[in-house]
Amino acid sequence: MPVLKAFRDRLGRGIRGLGKALRRPFLLGAVTGMLVLFGVKTGNSVTSTDSFCGSCHVHPQATTSWRQSTHFATQSGMVVHCIECHLPPGGFDYALQKARLGLRDAWGTLVKDPVDFDWEEISRLEHAATYTFRESCLECHPNLFPIQLSDEGEEAHLHYERLAEELRCLNCHLHVGHFDPDATDEIDFGFVETAEAEIFNSPAMVEGFVDYAEHIPGTSVSFEMVAIPGGTFAMGSPDTEPYRGPDEGPVHEVTVDRFWMGKVEVSWNEFETWYRATRAEGRTDTRVSEETLEGVDAITGATPPYVPPDQGWGKGNRPAITMTHNAAVQYTRWLSEVTGRRYRLPTEAEWEYAARGGTTDPYFFGGSPKDYTEQRLLNRILGRHADVIDRYVVHGLNSGARTQPSDELEPNPFGLVNMLGNVWEFTSDWYADDTYRMRAAAASSVNPTGPATGSEHVLRGGSFKTDPADLRVAAREATRTDACLVTDPQIPKSLWWYSDCNDIGFRVVREVDPPETSGPSG
Amino acid sequence: MSDRTAGTTRRDFIETLGVIGAAGAVGAVAASCSARQEAIYPDYVYPPLLEQAPDGPVLRAGLIGCGGRGTGAVQQFLNAGPNLEVIALADYFQDRVDNCRNRLREEKDLEIPDENCFTGFDAYLRLLETDVDVVLMATPPYFRPAHFEACVEARKHVFMEKPVAVDPVGCRSVMASSRQADALGLTVITGTQRRHEATYLDTFRKVADGAIGKVVGANVYWNGQVPWWRDRRPGWTDVEYMLRDWVNWTWLSGDHIVEQHVHNLDVANWFLGDIHPESAVGFGGRWRRPTGDQYDHFSIDFVYPGEIHVHSMCRQIAGCANNVSEFVRGAEGYTNCQNEIFAPDGTEIWSYPYPLDEEGEPIAPLPYDQEHIDLVTAIRTNQPVNEAERTAVSTLTAIMGRISCYTGQEVTWDEMMESGLQLGPENLALGPSDLIRAVVPVPGTA
Repeated sequence: MPVLKAFRDRLGRGIRGLGKALRRPFLLGAVTGMLVLFGVKTGNSVTSTDSFCGSCHVHPQATTSWRQSTHFATQSGMVVHCIECHLPPGGFDYALQKARLGLRDAWGTLVKDPVDFDWEEISRLEHAATYTFRESCLECHPNLFPIQLSDEGEEAHLHYERLAEELRCLNCHLHVGHFDPDATDEIDFGFVETAEAEIFNSPAMVEGFVDYAEHIPGTSVSFEMVAIPGGTFAMGSPDTEPYRGPDEGPVHEVTVDRFWMGKVEVSWNEFETWYRATRAEGRTDTRVSEETLEGVDAITGATPPYVPPDQGWGKGNRPAITMTHNAAVQYTRWLSEVTGRRYRLPTEAEWEYAARGGTTDPYFFGGSPKDYTEQRLLNRILGRHADVIDRYVVHGLNSGARTQPSDELEPNPFGLVNMLGNVWEFTSDWYADDTYRMRAAAASSVNPTGPATGSEHVLRGGSFKTDPADLRVAAREATRTDACLVTDPQIPKSLWWYSDCNDIGFRVVREVDPPETSGPSG
Repeated sequence: MSDRTAGTTRRDFIETLGVIGAAGAVGAVAASCSARQEAIYPDYVYPPLLEQAPDGPVLRAGLIGCGGRGTGAVQQFLNAGPNLEVIALADYFQDRVDNCRNRLREEKDLEIPDENCFTGFDAYLRLLETDVDVVLMATPPYFRPAHFEACVEARKHVFMEKPVAVDPVGCRSVMASSRQADALGLTVITGTQRRHEATYLDTFRKVADGAIGKVVGANVYWNGQVPWWRDRRPGWTDVEYMLRDWVNWTWLSGDHIVEQHVHNLDVANWFLGDIHPESAVGFGGRWRRPTGDQYDHFSIDFVYPGEIHVHSMCRQIAGCANNVSEFVRGAEGYTNCQNEIFAPDGTEIWSYPYPLDEEGEPIAPLPYDQEHIDLVTAIRTNQPVNEAERTAVSTLTAIMGRISCYTGQEVTWDEMMESGLQLGPENLALGPSDLIRAVVPVPGTA
């Protein structure tokens, strides 16, 4: 306590000494200060009236709409004035905003013609939020849950509290200060309502050779099919094409009949309908081969997968992956059965014909592999050209190391999406590295189906893991069945699911007529 | 000082702090007493835990929901202090009102006049028109949001049983009504009695002072059996039967994870700092439940901010390993939340010093009585306490777990705060109902 007293005494002496020295200047200063304060206060009052606001803001429609609004025509007869919404409620921010908005308004009044203003534009939420202050709303409305509030209002204010950083009062109450006869009270708070999906009783009606959306009967699943006109094209790539593989040549002429092809790869939604409809209880020792399945009436179904087949990336519209070639074939057979149509995997020739869509370059969207690849040191240093390829392809440099839903990409000239990238696609052909050499030696190639037998099938199109150099439309790849089943610990290994392969899917084609072995179709 | 505060008895509290403002003062003392550790949850408001509520002008209560719990709540309210009256009863069923009335006549020598006994679905509205100051609510939880809203609009103080709703829409309704109750200065106590037990409160006080360091995980359990069920009798309509068997129907009770296990989930939320999980994944099912459409077991992984996992387990199957408790582990120890704190190596650091009776036996606290003492104290000292929102959060936590188990999906808190899910019929009437044929949910695809 004595310490405190000594300190107080010393402080008192100091103040008295200072006062003596400053008495006259202080008096002068005090008077000046009071005058200035009085001036500021008067100035502030004068410049805060509605009539002062109206003297510069030549917008009679805003004055009228304010007088018609719930903030003028209040139940209690209280009137809310311009600055009570269009300036913060007080403190430093009040002075700052008054200066900012005042200068802007002064500039506008002196330099601009109010006729030129787009009033509708500056009344929109984004703009209104720059001169209408949340703090001002809350100054008069501190209780967001008044007892009279409707249930909808309670929900909305709970929503607001949770997202207060993103939401403004104006998001819902845009027209409370200025009446708008066209404004509605219907506000979307972001609640999600899931509609009951329609269950299809029958396949889609299709008349003629046109694009259509197929319905899988008994489910709500549908998928789009694109009509691909028949034609003749140059299959393979010239040996001048960068990064070209020796199995891609020679370039040879091939004719294919018209057919329908899936607009995108078969999705999980589609693939799971088959799995649910046909699944079998577990693995058996019976080796089911392609041959033995041929004559069987019942469609064979898959056994449960060993690991989550979607890799935890989600199912839905992502392309189905990790099924074996056998499972993909069984899917098309089942689909044919339930729709009464001829669905199957594409041949390699059909696939390349559809992917090219009439183009002859390494990619259907133009450009050279050298522009896009990162196998090139120069591109790794200077950066690859991304703007074109990224519009069409989910590839190893833009995919985030997983499959992507395909709805945002642009289609090829035939209207097909994801022909290159996202997932490798099965074809029905057996793979051989000399397929093209053998075929080029023959007289004509109409609807070729590849070698009569083999051990691995042809994959086309590249995946979300593939560098653009190997995403060329002519690039060929083969399944590697053993490598895809390394992890599967069971004997026999699954006929239905690859345990070590997450980048292969497939798309379906539909035949128009029974395939013919000679002569192009009309 | 630290030890003394933690180990203090209720009598000490009264002597030290007096009555008025005790709640705030205790909080301040707790915050200032942290010896070694930094206080983790310094703002928690502790109830004063008086032995009796202070005297004051007469407070009149009415009861909505005259079953066993409601009848018990009336007696606990009457025992809480001087000048307390119960003057009105409301229930859908006449026999329920009669039973409660007879019991009060026999045990408390209390006569509720005919004109203050109400039945039917709007009985609660007519009760609110009587001269009550406090409403005690013990109906099936399905009714709680609407009843609570009506109580707040009528400016009544409230004691309501947990849980406070059965679906997300109901929880959000209670949250909003809770804000209105705050603005009106009403007191709302919610039947989460662990928050009114000196044992739990002193344990929490130690944890809040850092006794186990930062909380890193928790497990909560309610493994017991089906509390009761009713077999259907001839003449009962579908809805009457479900109401009389309500603890076994999801639309009425919220399922047992909500109706019962909410106690333990509330302790988890509490000991983690009165927060809520961000997501939940769980599974459950039904093996032996005799009636209704509910599961009889749930197991859920709740994920709180900062990747803190709380495992919740509840089961209502007789003849299994039973366990009703909580367990919270911190970086520097662990606790049963109830009366003991241990070092990481298992040595006991602290245990609750139970007061002893004349024969030297420890006296356990009486939390159901304490809730009503705290209710009356808050009203009479004009220190409003409102537990509705935090119990709505705990209820929604349980509902989130239930939905994850029913659907097999991960459920997030944000989804719960936007979900339009509302259980029960659109218009409640006593008669036939499709709800009686409700199918027990089966998640996923086979």
